[in-house]
Amino acid sequence: MNTKQKITRLIEFLFGILATEAIVFAILFYAFEEPTRLVSAQNEILQTQVDDAMTLYAENCAVCHGLAGEGIGATPSLDNDGLRTMDYDELVKIIARGRYETAMPAWNKTDGGPLSDYQIGELAALIQSGDWNATRDRVVNLGLAPLVPFETEPDPVIFEQIGALTDGAVLQQAVTLFATECVACHGADGLGTSLAPALNDPLVREKAADELTRIITLGTPGTLMAGWSSTLAEEEIAALVTLVTRWDEVPLGAIPAPDVPVPTTAESLALGEELFAANCSRCHGPEGQGTPRAPALNVKSFLTETSDLAIQQIVTQGVPGTAMPAWGDRMTEADIQAIVGFIRQWEATAPEVATPARGGGGGPPWLRSDAPADVFVPPGQQTDGAAGQAADPQAGATDHREGSGAGGPPDGYGGGGVAAGGEHTAGEVPPWAQEQVQPAWWETLDQRVLVLVFSGVGVATLLIFVGYVALRRNPPSDGE
Amino acid sequence: MNETPSDNIIQRMRARLWPNGLPRDDRGRMRLVVNNLILHIHPAKVSMRAMRWTYTWGLGGLAAMLLVLLGSTGILLEINYTPSAPQAYLNILELRSNVWFGELIRNVHHWSANLLVVVTVLHLLRVFFTGAYRPPRETNWLIGVGMLLLVLGGNFTGYLLPWDQLAFWAITVGTSVLTYVPLIGDALGRLLLGGPEVSGATLLNFYSLHISFIPLAIFGLMSFHFWRIRKDGGLTNPRGVDETEKVKLERVTTIPHLVRRELVYALVWLAAILVWAMLVPAPLEGIANPDLSPNPAKAPWYFLGLQELLLHFHPLVGAIIIPAAFFIGLALLPFYDVAAENVGVYFRSHRGRSLTVLATGLSLVSTPLWVALDEFVLHWADWLPAWPSLVSNGLVPLAVVALGLILMDEWVKDSFKATVEERVLFLFTFLFVAIFILTIIGIFFRGPGMSLYWPWAMPVVSH
Repeated sequence: MNTKQKITRLIEFLFGILATEAIVFAILFYAFEEPTRLVSAQNEILQTQVDDAMTLYAENCAVCHGLAGEGIGATPSLDNDGLRTMDYDELVKIIARGRYETAMPAWNKTDGGPLSDYQIGELAALIQSGDWNATRDRVVNLGLAPLVPFETEPDPVIFEQIGALTDGAVLQQAVTLFATECVACHGADGLGTSLAPALNDPLVREKAADELTRIITLGTPGTLMAGWSSTLAEEEIAALVTLVTRWDEVPLGAIPAPDVPVPTTAESLALGEELFAANCSRCHGPEGQGTPRAPALNVKSFLTETSDLAIQQIVTQGVPGTAMPAWGDRMTEADIQAIVGFIRQWEATAPEVATPARGGGGGPPWLRSDAPADVFVPPGQQTDGAAGQAADPQAGATDHREGSGAGGPPDGYGGGGVAAGGEHTAGEVPPWAQEQVQPAWWETLDQRVLVLVFSGVGVATLLIFVGYVALRRNPPSDGE
Repeated sequence: MNETPSDNIIQRMRARLWPNGLPRDDRGRMRLVVNNLILHIHPAKVSMRAMRWTYTWGLGGLAAMLLVLLGSTGILLEINYTPSAPQAYLNILELRSNVWFGELIRNVHHWSANLLVVVTVLHLLRVFFTGAYRPPRETNWLIGVGMLLLVLGGNFTGYLLPWDQLAFWAITVGTSVLTYVPLIGDALGRLLLGGPEVSGATLLNFYSLHISFIPLAIFGLMSFHFWRIRKDGGLTNPRGVDETEKVKLERVTTIPHLVRRELVYALVWLAAILVWAMLVPAPLEGIANPDLSPNPAKAPWYFLGLQELLLHFHPLVGAIIIPAAFFIGLALLPFYDVAAENVGVYFRSHRGRSLTVLATGLSLVSTPLWVALDEFVLHWADWLPAWPSLVSNGLVPLAVVALGLILMDEWVKDSFKATVEERVLFLFTFLFVAIFILTIIGIFFRGPGMSLYWPWAMPVVSH
C-alpha cells in the first residue's frame, strides 16, 4: 500500500467516524427531545384547527349562537363547561346531524349540510378548547357579527294609534311579540334584513292565513326560520298572522330599528382608520372635521344623534342628492362596519362644534375659508334632501361650487377655486384631484433587479465570449 | 473449508454460515466479493482511476442508497397510513403529533425523495458529459432514462398522499394536462384519477402505484442497470482531455478500497439527510379543499419547467409534444451520436469544453429573454385570430423556437466545423440549461395568476 493510499484511507476513516458520530448523536438528541416535540406538535395542530374553526363559526354559527358563543334568544350558549367536558364524539354527532325538533340543522355534507367531517371536528375542538374572545374578534373582523341585542321597543305613540284600529288589542299584542321575537331577523317594521325576507310586503299579505300559520308553527326547512310552536302559544301565532296580513294598516315606525352598536376589535379599528383615510378623508377631512365638500363627522351633535345602524345605512346607500355616494357596491359589509366603528370611537372626545379643515391653520390654503362650521343634518331631518349643500356656508365658499373643472369631486369643487382666500393660483390642482401618476417601469426597478439582470447578462456574455474565442483558436484537428 | 465440528453451538453456527471468516489476503477479499450477493455487483478488482470521486461524484451509488432509504422509511410510513380522504390527512397529523419519530421518518422520506430527483438528473448529466452512454452502453442509457421517468412518477404519486392543499392542487395542476393527450386524453385522465377530478379514488390509485408498481419497477430496472454495468465492462475510465486512449490502469481490490469509500460516502450522506430532516420539516398545509384553490396553484417543483412551457404554448404542444420529443430525443441519443471516441473525457475535448461553455452562455441569455418576450411582446393568438389556438398559440411559436434552434445548430456547424458529436453536445447543453432556467423561473418568479414577479417582490395572496 503506497503513501497516497494510506492518506486516502486516513481521510476516509476520519469522514466515516465523523458521519457515524453525527448519526448516533443526532438520533440520541432527537429521541431526547421527542416527547417535548410531540406535545408542541399537538398544541400546534389544535391551534390551527381552532383557528380554522373560528372562521367556520363566524360564517356558519354566529348568526344563531351569537358573537362569542353566548347564545341568542332560544339558541343555546356554546361557551359553557357542560359542552367543554362533553364527549367529543357526542359533540361531533350533534353538529353533524343536527338536533331533532330544534332549529339546529345537520351540518354534515352527507346529511346535506355544507361542512366536511374534518371541519366538524374542528368546530368540536373550538367548543372544547377554543378562546371565545378571539372568536368574537374573528367574527367582527369578518363583518359577520349578528345584530345583538335582538329585540326593540314599539314606538309608544304609534302603539296607541294601533290600539284604535279594528282588533287593535290583537295587533298591539302582535307588534309587541314581533318587537321581541322577530325583529332581529325580519327587521324594523318587518321590512327584512340580509337574514330574512320582508314580511311587511304586499306579496306576503296575499298569502292565505293557513299557510302563514303553518310557516310560523313549523318553520321553513332549509332556512333559518325555525318552528315556533314550542315558544309561542297558538293565539300568539294567530296574532302575528293577523299583523302580517294587515301590516299596510300599521303606520311606519311602529317597530323601530334597535340601536345596535357595531362591535369593534383592534384590527377592525385599524382597518376602519385605513379605509377612512383612503376613502372618506378627502371630503370629510383627515380627522372627520369636515370640509367644504362634506359635513363634519367628528362632532358631538352628529355622533350622539346618529346610531351605528344609521351611519352604516348612510355609508352603504349614500345620501341621494348630495355628493355622498353609495359605498355598498365598493366595500364589503365588514369594511363599512369597520369604518362605522372607527367613526364611533370619536364620540368620547368629539368637540361640541366642528372645526372644519379650513380657516386658520386647518389644512392647505385651497381648503381655507372664513365660513362657519358645517352642521350635519341627519338624512331624516333634511328639508331639501341635500344635507351637505343645505348646511354649507353661503359666504366665502360660494366659489367652490361654481367651477366645474375636470377632475374635481362630484359636488363641483374644482378648477377655479381662485377665490378661496386668494392664495390659490389657477394652475394648481389640489392633491385629491390630481390623477395618480403611474411611475414608468424603469422607475420601479430596484438594485436587486439591476444586480440580477446585469450579473446574469454579464456571466452569459463572458461564457459566450470565452467559448467563441476558444473555438475560433481551436479548429477541428482532422479538418473534417 | 474448516469442517471440524466444534463443541460450541456458536462456533458451529459460524462454521456453517460463514465458513471462510474474514478474508486475510487480497485473494480472500476478491473471493468474498465474487461470492457475496450484494458485493457481487462489483468486480473483484477495480481501477483506481474509475474510483476518482470527481469523476462520477458517486451519483449512481447515492441514487441507489436513496432508494434503499426511501424503501425503508416508506414501509414504516405505510404502517400508519390509510389511503382514503380525509383519513389520510388525519394520519399525517397523527404521525406528527402522536407517533414517536413519525415526523422524522416522514421528513427523511420527503427530503430523500426530492434529493433523488436531483441526483438522478445529475447522474444523467454526468453520464452524458463523460460520453458514458456510448457503445456498448446504449442499453444502460435507455434503462437509466426509464428509471428517471419512474423516479419522477414515484415522487409525483407520493406528492398526493398527505392529502393537504399543497398535494391536492399540485396533483390537480399536474394531471390537468392529461386531457390534452390526443384521442385518449380523457380516458387516460379518468383511468389515472379514478374519476373526472382528483378525489379519494385518486388517492387510492396513486397509493397503489406509489407503494407497489413503481418501487417494483424501479427495483427491477435498478438490478438490470447494475448488471449491465458489469456486462459493459464496468465504469468508463476517466481521462484527462490530453491523455491518450491507452493509459496504464492501476487496479486494486474492491475490498477494501471501493467498499470502504462507498460506505463512508453513504454514511456522510445519511448523516447530512438525517440532520437536514431533523431541522427542516416537510411541508404540510391545511386539509385538501377542492373548493378553495390557492393562487398560484403550482405543480411539484420538478414539473415547474413544464408548467412554464404551458404558459407559452398550447397545452398539446407545451405539455405533450415538447416533453415527448425531449424524452424521445434522450432515448435516441446513443443511436444518433455513434462516435465511440472520447469516452471518459468530461465534455469530450478542448473544443467540446468551449462548445459547452458557449451553449451555456447562449441559453442563459436567450431563455429568460424568450420568456420575457413571449410574456410581454408576442401575442400570437391576437395576431392570428382566425387560426385555431393549437396553431396560433402552439405550432407557430413551436416552429419559431425550432427554427431558432436549427439556425443555431447550422451556425455551430458552419462557423466552427462542428462534428455530429459536437453538435449533439451543444444542443443538449443548450436545452438542459434552458430547462433549468425555466424551472427556476417557474419556482421563484411566478406569483399570483402565474404572472411574472421578482422573487423579493412576490405578493402574498391570502385566502
